[in-house]
Formats: sequence, structure tokens, C-alpha cells
Amino acid sequence: MTFAPALTTLILFLAIGIWIAAILDAVFYRRISGQGGVSVLSPFYAAAAHLSRQRLTTEAPDRLNWYLAIAGYLAIATIGLAVVPFGPETAVIGIKTSVVLWGACESLVVVLVFLHGWSPNSPLALIGAYRYVAIGLPIMLLSMFVLIAAALPARSLDLRDIVASQEGLWNIIRQPLGLPLFLLLGLSLTLRGPFDYADSADLAGGTSVEDSGANRAGWQVARLAMLVGFSAIAASTFLGGYLGPILPGIVWLAIKTLILMAVVIGLSHLLARMPVARMLGLIWKFLLPIAFVDLLLAGLVALA
Amino acid sequence: MTDIAFYALSALAIWSGWRVFRVDSMIRATFALMVSFICVGGIALLMSADYIGIATVFMMAVEMMVMGLFMVMFMMNPAGLNPMQMVHQHRFSIGAGIAAFIGLTVAVLATNLPNNPLPAGRDTLHDLGVELLGGSMLIFETAGVTLLATMVGAVVLSSRPGRFGDSDAGAVPPGLQPGGQPAGRKVEKSGGHGGHGGDSSHDMNMKGAPKSDDAPHKRHGKMPEEES
Repeated sequence: MTFAPALTTLILFLAIGIWIAAILDAVFYRRISGQGGVSVLSPFYAAAAHLSRQRLTTEAPDRLNWYLAIAGYLAIATIGLAVVPFGPETAVIGIKTSVVLWGACESLVVVLVFLHGWSPNSPLALIGAYRYVAIGLPIMLLSMFVLIAAALPARSLDLRDIVASQEGLWNIIRQPLGLPLFLLLGLSLTLRGPFDYADSADLAGGTSVEDSGANRAGWQVARLAMLVGFSAIAASTFLGGYLGPILPGIVWLAIKTLILMAVVIGLSHLLARMPVARMLGLIWKFLLPIAFVDLLLAGLVALA
Repeated sequence: MTDIAFYALSALAIWSGWRVFRVDSMIRATFALMVSFICVGGIALLMSADYIGIATVFMMAVEMMVMGLFMVMFMMNPAGLNPMQMVHQHRFSIGAGIAAFIGLTVAVLATNLPNNPLPAGRDTLHDLGVELLGGSMLIFETAGVTLLATMVGAVVLSSRPGRFGDSDAGAVPPGLQPGGQPAGRKVEKSGGHGGHGGDSSHDMNMKGAPKSDDAPHKRHGKMPEEES
């Protein structure tokens, strides 16, 4: 695949992924709350409802940063998906340091979610923004160790090499601690469930409390896009990405991405959110040492 | 194409660097500086220094986020949304700025910069790793993780643990006299009816119960009917 087909695949993958993610989200919620089925068109109805509403603003917002945060979040999600290899040696952004690029995306998400809450000049949005930074930064730190551990057997920071290194054995078996820790990052990056300290219901919507109309639709689409991008990255890092028998690579990648998306959405509906102080204690005192152990085991295996 | 990207990134880097000193908010200044650094990282990418360029973006995003947060915390300007003057000591800073500009310009012009383009397909990442760390990669990695664990340990030890444990013992206001009772409102000790004390509103439903302050005590012993 050359660049143009790869880019087309990326856009289709992202668009269909967002649509399926929105449906899955609704299905899980309705299952848990014991309601009926969901129309496959429901995401479009929701989008139409958002887009037909007015776009309200607050007193003295930072309009530039507000819009940049929404657009940037979507852009970062797209860049995340762009480093995922769709087949051997095929990725839209095929560079030797693609894992580092994904790390940069993770850290920019914290900045953009913060700016999204800071810019409207509104108290609940601001609380969401600060709360998110406190949780988002250590979770990101933790994911770095997990990613370094995944890069060790491949002896490369290139996601294409990391996928190729899982030809015999997937990383989920080789490094069993990795994927569960990485999924927590996914919950945090997509502002979901137990890690939804930014946009949660206890802050009446948090950073997006002042979003209305197209802004809110854009932010929700960006969150779903980030879910797709994250799931594809996680599928490539731990589930062997495009590797698989008979079916073409892109189909395997899509299946694995879909499974991880469902797992993240399921976790986000089933797990409750802790108070920030307890979550900080859990991350720094419990999860971070587990990430150290993950890295240590990967290092020992690499040395052996 | 590369030239256009270089000039565009340079212009944005300089413009956002200038904005750092012109905006009226700590958060805006912080993230203007971040944009400036990200542009420099982009220029590094153009020079085939993939790792350095992307690592710059990565480090600066985290650093600026932490810096912005700490500035707001220390300056007691909730949110950094209130307009504030971001430059101080004008005369000194103008002098220092001019001196730094002249110094750096002289340094750039006087240096004999290398001009040997990389052969296509050269793995700069591997070269950089060998150049920076040589055979000490394992030591560096181990030291990095150990240092982080030490930092976390230091914070955990220095902040008494527990929301309802030690660190919250300080949430009781200090005494009016040294070693005396904590200041502030005293919780009234009241009758055993779930802390409602003298509030007689519960009696509204109770047939014939006397609406007096000591009613809760009596009700525990016998039924209201017996009383009347």
C-alpha cells in the first residue's frame, strides 16, 4: 500500500470506528440499565440533535484555545491511528520512532483536555480540567513504562517492528501485566468511566459543560475517535495488530480493535469512579510499581 | 517543500515565543511557550532528527502542563483566568534580552556549522542511542526507574498517608490557647434521637406526643399512647 490508499483506509477505519463505538456505548448502557435495543442510526440522530442546537458561549472565554482544544483532540486521535500499521511495513506515518510519537500524543491529550476545561471561563469546567491533569499525568507516566516494555522484545521504537515481533507470541501472553495497565490509559485518554475526571456527571459534564451545538458534537466525536485510535494502538502493541491467518491483515486489525473498544466501553460502564485522592494513591503507590514489575520482567526476558 | 515548512515553523516559533511575553495570563503564556517548543521540535524533524524532535514535543507538553499548574497554584490566581501583568523589571529584562539576542546571534554566525546531509535511510535513532549512552543503556534505564521510585517514595513518606488517617488530624482547627480545645463551633450533645436534638418536628405524626425539648428521651422508653 502506498500513501494515498493507506490514508483512505485510515479515514474509513476512523469513521466506521467512531460510528460503531457510539453504538456500542449506547448498547452497553441500555443493557446495564435493562432497556431495549438501539437503532444503528442513533449516533446520527444524536449528532443531528447536537448540530441543530445553538452554539452558546460564556462570558469572556478564550475562544481560540476552546476551538483549538476540540480540533486538536480530534487531530491527536487521528495521528494516533496514523502510526498503526495496517499491514506489514504499511502505516500512514511510518517512522522509526512511532511509539515516541504516540507518547507525545498522550501527553498532548492532557494539555488539550485541560485547555478545553480552562478556556470557557466557567467553574465546573475548570474543576474538571484541574482534576483531569492530576490523574491524567501519572496514568500517562505509567503507560510509558508499559510501552517501553513492549518495545524491548522488538528492539525497536517502531510500532511496525513491535507488531512484527509478535509473530510467534503475542505481547498479551509475553507481558500479561501490560494490557490491563494500558487499558487504564485508554479509559483516561477517552475520559471514560473510572478515569472520567474531566467530563463526568458529578460536574454536570465537566470540561464540556459549556459546550453546545457543534462544539459539543465535535468534542464527543473526538472522544470516540480517541477510543478508536487508542484501541488500534493497543491491539497492535499487545494483540499482534494485523497478524492472523487467512483473513487480510486489515480485517484482523479491525476485529482486534473492535474487541478492545468493547472492553474499554464495558469497563467504563461497569466500574465506578473513586475520589481523586484515592485514585492518586492507587496510581502512584500500586499501579506504578506494577508497571515497574512489567518493565523489569520484559528486561529480564530480553537479557536472558 | 522542506524550506516552506522550515520557514513556517520558524515564524510560528518566533511569534508564539513573542506572545509568551504579551499575553495577560499564566496559562496562555505557558502554552504559547509550548507551541514555540513544538515548532522547534518540528524543525528537528525536518533535520531528520526524529527522536529529538518528537521527544521535544513529548517532554514540553508534559513540562508546560506541570509548570502551568504550579504557577497557578503558587500565584494564588485561581485558574490563571484573571488578567495579570506577565513581565516585571522592565529595564533589566530588556537589557538581558538584547544581550542574549546579540550573544546567541554572534554564536550562531561565528560557529562553523556542519553541512553534510544524511544519506537517505540512515537509522539516526540507533546512532543517537549509541552516541548518548554507548554500552550504558541498561545502567541508565535502571537508574531512571530507581530515581522515579525514590521520588514517589519520598513523597509518600513526607505526606502522611490516609484521607481519614494522619494527614487529616491537622484538619482540626488549632486551639485558642496553646494545647487548648480546638477553636470553632462545638457540636451540641443532644438527646438520643438520631442527632435531631430538641427539634420537635418529628412529633407532627405522633398522636398525642408532647412537643417539649425532652420528648425524644421519653419516647425511647414508652409508646406515645401510654403517655397520653
